[in-house]
Parts: sequence; C-alpha cells; structure tokens
Amino acid sequence: MQQPDTPSSGVASGGAAPPAPASLCVKCHLHEATLDSRSQRVCSDCFTKFISAKCIKQVGIIGKDIRNPGTGAASQKKKYLLGLSLGVSSSVLVHLLNENVEYQLAKGRNAPFDLVIVHVDSSGLYPSSSSPGSVQETLEGYRKRYPRFEFRLVPLSAVLDLDTVDWRTLILPSSAVTPPENEQQLHALFFDRLSSPTSRADILRLFTRHLLISSARTESCHALLLGHTTTALAELTLAETAKGRGFSLPWQVNDGPVAVVSHSTAVPTEPITTTTTPTSQSSNATTTTTESQIQVYHPLRDLLRKELVIYATELMGTPSLASDLNIMIPNHPSSATQQAAAAVVSHKDLSIEEVMFRYFAEVEENYPSVVANVARTTGKLVRLLGGDSEPATGSHSSCGMCTMPLDEQGDERWRGELGDEDVEDDMTRSSAGRICYGCERSIRG
Amino acid sequence: MAPALCAICKTERALIKRPKNHAKLCKGCFITIFEDEVHHTITSSQLFYPGEKVAIGASGGKDSTVLASVLKTLNERHNYGLDLILLSIDEGIKGYRDDSLETVKRNAVQYEMPLKVVGYDELYGWTMDQVVETIGKKGNCTYCGVFRRQALDRGAKMLEIKHVVTGHNADDVAETILMNLLRGDLARLSRSTSIVTGDSRSDVKRSKPLKYAYEKEIVLYAHHKKLDYFSTECIYSPEAFRGSARSLIKQLERVRPSAILDIVRSGEDMARLVPGESSSSCGGGCKDKKTAPVARVEDDIGGCGSQNGRTPGGEMAAMETQLRENEASEGLEIDVSKNISQKEDSENKNERAVPIRTGNKNAKPVNRQVLGNCKRCGYMSSQDICQACMLLEGLNKNRPQIQI
Ligand SMILES: [Zn+2]
Ligand SMILES: [Zn+2]
Ligand SMILES: [Zn+2]
Repeated sequence: MQQPDTPSSGVASGGAAPPAPASLCVKCHLHEATLDSRSQRVCSDCFTKFISAKCIKQVGIIGKDIRNPGTGAASQKKKYLLGLSLGVSSSVLVHLLNENVEYQLAKGRNAPFDLVIVHVDSSGLYPSSSSPGSVQETLEGYRKRYPRFEFRLVPLSAVLDLDTVDWRTLILPSSAVTPPENEQQLHALFFDRLSSPTSRADILRLFTRHLLISSARTESCHALLLGHTTTALAELTLAETAKGRGFSLPWQVNDGPVAVVSHSTAVPTEPITTTTTPTSQSSNATTTTTESQIQVYHPLRDLLRKELVIYATELMGTPSLASDLNIMIPNHPSSATQQAAAAVVSHKDLSIEEVMFRYFAEVEENYPSVVANVARTTGKLVRLLGGDSEPATGSHSSCGMCTMPLDEQGDERWRGELGDEDVEDDMTRSSAGRICYGCERSIRG
Repeated sequence: MAPALCAICKTERALIKRPKNHAKLCKGCFITIFEDEVHHTITSSQLFYPGEKVAIGASGGKDSTVLASVLKTLNERHNYGLDLILLSIDEGIKGYRDDSLETVKRNAVQYEMPLKVVGYDELYGWTMDQVVETIGKKGNCTYCGVFRRQALDRGAKMLEIKHVVTGHNADDVAETILMNLLRGDLARLSRSTSIVTGDSRSDVKRSKPLKYAYEKEIVLYAHHKKLDYFSTECIYSPEAFRGSARSLIKQLERVRPSAILDIVRSGEDMARLVPGESSSSCGGGCKDKKTAPVARVEDDIGGCGSQNGRTPGGEMAAMETQLRENEASEGLEIDVSKNISQKEDSENKNERAVPIRTGNKNAKPVNRQVLGNCKRCGYMSSQDICQACMLLEGLNKNRPQIQI
C-alpha cells in the first residue's frame, strides 16, 4: 500500500479546521478520504455510491411491493409520481432516480420505471418569500437537466376541485363561513381563518399532499414517492406529535398504502375499490364517500439531510446540483443571500415545522444516530385501525381534511379528561364533515 | 383603549391572559377555572376514594405548593374526604434544604396539614453530603436522582400511606413524551403518559393531579393566590443543562400555546400504538373504563430537584455512542445495500449471505423491559437489583475506607 506523500505534521494540528489529513478512504482504500460519513472517513466516490445505494435499495423494495399480485401484471411497467418541493431532498431524489434510469439504459435494459414529477405551486400564497425567478423558470432548469422525466406544475388552487377534501369541514356551525370556491377565497381561508403560521403550514401541507395523491391517481401511477430523509421523518414525528397528530404517525411515517377517500355525489370514474357508504346522518343525504388506496414511499428514508446537502453542493460537479437547479438550502452558506431575506422572521412567526427543522438541524450535526433512531422508533408504532399494512378501510371513518383515520376512542377519552364537552360537540360532532383532533386545532383554533 | 372585560364573568376587568389558550380572564375567574379543571381531572380519573390517606410529595417548590393548596381547597369544597399529609424528602445536603424545608413547614401550618420529613439517611443510610464526600461532585446527580425516585415511595411506605401525589404538570409530561421519542423508548413513552403510575405489588400508588395544568398557569396561580413557595434548584447539578426537550417545549409553546396539551394528547394516543401495549393498557374496550389505566413505571419523571428528567447533552451523547455501536454490530447494513445494487447489475462478485432487512413497515417488536421487583428492597425494577440498591452497594463498599 502506498502512503500519499504529505507532510505528516503529526497529530491533528490542534486547530478548528486542520488541513485534511491524508488518510485513505476506509471503504475503497484507494482514494484520499475527504468526507466524514457516519463516523467513517471516506472518499467522495464512495460517499456518492453510498448515497445512491441507500436510495436504490428503497426503490428496489417499492418495485417488489408493487409486483405483488392484485396490483397488476408482473410485466407491467411501473410508473411513479414524485412530489418535488424544489428543496434539496426531493431534488436529489430526482437526480438519483435519473441516474438509476440512465444506468439501466446504458446496460441495454429498459428503463425500470416511468416518472412523473409534480411541483405544487403555493408561491401565490407567499409571493414575497418565493425564490428569485419564477417557479416556472426554476422548473425549466429541471426539465433541461432531466429531459427524460415529465415535470408538471400544479397550482395550489387546483385543490378546490378535489373531492378528496371534505369541504364541509371548513364550515363553521355557528357562522356563515362557507368553503372557499375560488383563489381569492382560498387566500382568505389561509390568512383570515387560519390564525397561526403553524395552522397555515399544516393545512398547506395537507392540501399539497391531497394534490400529489390526486395527481398520482389521475396519472395511474403505482406509487407516490416523497423526498423525506431520515431527518425529515424525525422532524415530522415530533412536529405531528406537537400538533396533536400522534395517532396518525404510523400512517405518515411508514411506507405502504394509505387511504384515499372521496366525498362526492358523483361516482368516481375509476373506482379502484369498493366501499361506498352513505355518510351517516349527513345534512346532505346525497353525499357518499368512496374509499380506495395509494402506495406512498420515502426512498430517502435512510439518509440524513446533511448528507444530501453535501451531495448537492459539493459532489455533483461544477456548477453543483444545488446552484444549477437554484435550490434553496436553509442555513447553508451557498444560499446565504436568499437566507438573509427569510431570516428576519421573528420567532413568534415560526410554524411548528420550522421550529423542528431548526432543532433537528442542530441534533443532526452532532447526533445523527439519534435522529435516525427517532424515525426508526416511530416506524414501530402500530396502525391501530385497519391492520398493520392496510389503510384504514371499511368500518373506520376518516378525517374529512387529512384522511387519516378518526380516533374515536382517543377523542372520547380526551373529552372525558379535559371536560370541554360543549366545545367539542360543536366541532367534531357537527353534521358537517368530521375531522381529527389535529385538523380541528388547525382549522378551528 | 378601554380595559377588556373577563371572558367568563363579563363584569370584572380581564387582568390575565391564560397561557393555555390566551383567554382573557379576571383574577377570580382564573383561580376558579384552574381549580375546576384540576377537580375535573381528579373526578374523571377517579384518583381518590373517600377516606383515603394521601401524601403530597412536597418540596417547597411551586408545583407541589400549588398542588397542596388546590387539594386542600378542593377537598373542602367537594368533600373528597381525604386525609392529606405533606411528605418531604431531605436529601441531606447541608444548607440546601434549609430554606425549602422552612417553606414546607410554613405550608403545613398554612394548610393545616401534618408534615413528615424523611431523610436519605433514614431511607438509604447515606446523606447526599456523605455521597459527595465519597464519590466527588461529578456524577452525584445520578445518585440524587435515583434515590429521589424511590424516596417518596419508600417514605410513604414507612408511614403506611398507599397513595402519593406529585406536582408534575403538563409541561413535565410533554417533555417526557418528547424525550422518550428522542430516546426511541416507546415502552417508557407509553408508561409515562398515565396519570396514575405504580405497581400493585409495590403498595404505593402515584398520581399527578396537575397532569393537564400548564406550568405557566401554576406560576400564575401561585402568584395570584399569594402562595408561599421556594424556587429550588439542586446545587449538586454541575451538569445542569438547558434540557434539550425542555427548551423545545418552551419554543413550541411560544409558537402555539396549545402545543403542550397537544403533545400530551399525542402521547396518550401513541401509548396505545406501542406494539404489545394496546391490549394491556387500554384493551379495546376503553369506553366503559372509568378509572385511569394504571401503568407500572420506574418513575420516569424523576430526577433532581426542579431539573427533573431533562435530557442532558451528556445523555444524548451517550445515546449517540450507544446507537453507533449497535449500528456497527448490527453490521453490514451498508454492505447489504451495496449488494443489492450490485446484484441489480448482475455482476456481483462477492455476494454475501446477509439477512436483508425488508422494508420499514414490518414492525419489529419493541424491546420491552419486563418490570419485576428489586430482590433487595422490593421496589419495582427491570433488573434483579434496582438502581438505588446497585448504587448503594457501590457506596457501601467504599464506606470502610472513608471512615478510616
Ligand atoms: Zn473510497
Ligand atoms: Zn385530520
Ligand atoms: Zn371573571
């Protein structure tokens, strides 16, 4: 073995940033180790391989799951929909999937899957905070870089056309408030009705999810892929806990089927299943709910966000992936100028998600295994209704806003413990669509 | 601007913005609603029975002082018929307890309750000062915490009292929930959400009537009722840290006041989702269950003085190390993924027979500790010998040398 000839200045020169010690990568023993990866010194090659291996492993699992009988013929080509936030994680996911496809094609095989990429554009809600250049422009950069994939822009207001949101949940029993019907009313919903940044972020997240799921269904995709990293899943766990949504965590954090519920008078064009039940005691007797399901996966669940940041800012050539695609990376020097504008937000104006983001950015830095453990632990929680691998189907009713199963037992117990019977009566039991504890917090304060 | 009127009585001026929901109330209405809510907690969970002898774990701090005051008020107002006494633990730290014990003594007079002070020396044969002499200042918070955890139970047992109430509030419970999520300890998460803890075999039941009360409201209540309390901080906590979970809770509360209660709600619900717990703790038919489920617990919210149960940076670091070791020995996970990708290009040279972990949805059983009882002292413990007895063993070995 050959020692690279660098002045062996002895032990690390005691400073904050010693010049990279000339050690060899612990994995390949060929190249100089330049990066710390999970407490090992590795070279950028091995690091890059590690990132894609972690992702492709998960993609392999999806392929196997979907090949299961019932979903379709074995030979049927898989088609996925990827939710692109334009942030670092989902962008890297696009990049890795593209790499995977090119690799297969180079081997003379067929592309392993088709991919439709959808960005839900909510920049209309917060015009000032959107990144320089329009979303349209940004997306154009993606199209150029990944011509193989199809990129769609879906405006947030498209949610108004969805029947997977039970719009009656937005009706206040005691007032004349009606569900939003156009973009202005949607805007008013967010800024007049939803009282806090947390509630706005929460409902925006749900609407985005509804739109992604609905796009996946209209596109006849086999699965929806989300860019959550281990870090993001840990954030999600604690954020949802803090928003009173602990009960639905097993459906949110794990991969697998989740329920899609339509609330409509019309029969959906292509019902995948089955249970059509008239909503009981509804004020609107003609409303029915139809339930089906969709597979949701998080292929980056084994990677840390900071690893993807390194990947996107340092490893993918010059210009880096991040600057080529104009990706905003919070708390990263590369986007310092963009940061400056966003940093003036007072602490009180943060949402719970943002608090968790900041918190885990710190924890991730020093305790990455703790972060990974949070996501892993949450994964062990059981889905109490409808079985472990099933979406909540059939006899269980679901929340009209988030579609997660309603925890009637928990609601009942909580009412007993807290004793605010009268308030809850108004809310959960009104003839309008029923919602879960977490949605109630966000919608009704 | 004219002063706003109280949202409840609509006659008095609103002087208080309730931390819990920002309702604007007058002083009288705030005190009443605070007491009513504790009363509701007590009745809905059926914490007490008439004639029950109940020890209030009293430290002289705000939580236990408010608890004593509220329980006295409610006991008289609603005829609970409780026989209340104050139970105080003296760790044996010279000077440290002097002021707080004085506070508790005054409380005993103010609330007309008998007071019993039990010392670590009586319970363990060691005062904290002696412990520090033996092992030095570093790490003694562990001793203090472990001893304290059992002290109330042991003290109650000495007095033949079967029920101890403590001043743990909603912030404490929320903090424990987040901490156990961060620790990945589902079993403890599920146990710590119960309002009643204890063990049928240990004879002493523990409950926390202030479980749903916000810390800030407890402070307000103490202030407006002009209660006599003492703010304690354990002086033997050089490792005192701004608890990770605690500061997170405070930030969340600032961002959305309901968050503390919402975390408690989430924690209670998640307790039912812990594999193996769902059947035992709330067996399906929770509806007709009137009394609160009792969880066996090695008091999770224990610890030292008011620094209870904070996650020290040290603990997180220790956990990080532990987890990394696990990863290393669990091994080859990295290589597994490499193998798969190599397999896919069918040029796999060195395929190893490594068990492939399938997906994440296969819920592995949670590593559950089986709680038994300590062979020496009978206190509940997941080990044969409880932590306190282990520590004592170590201390007692050192004793002869010290005494020489
Ligand atoms: Zn290497
Ligand atoms: Zn909901
Ligand atoms: Zn009033």
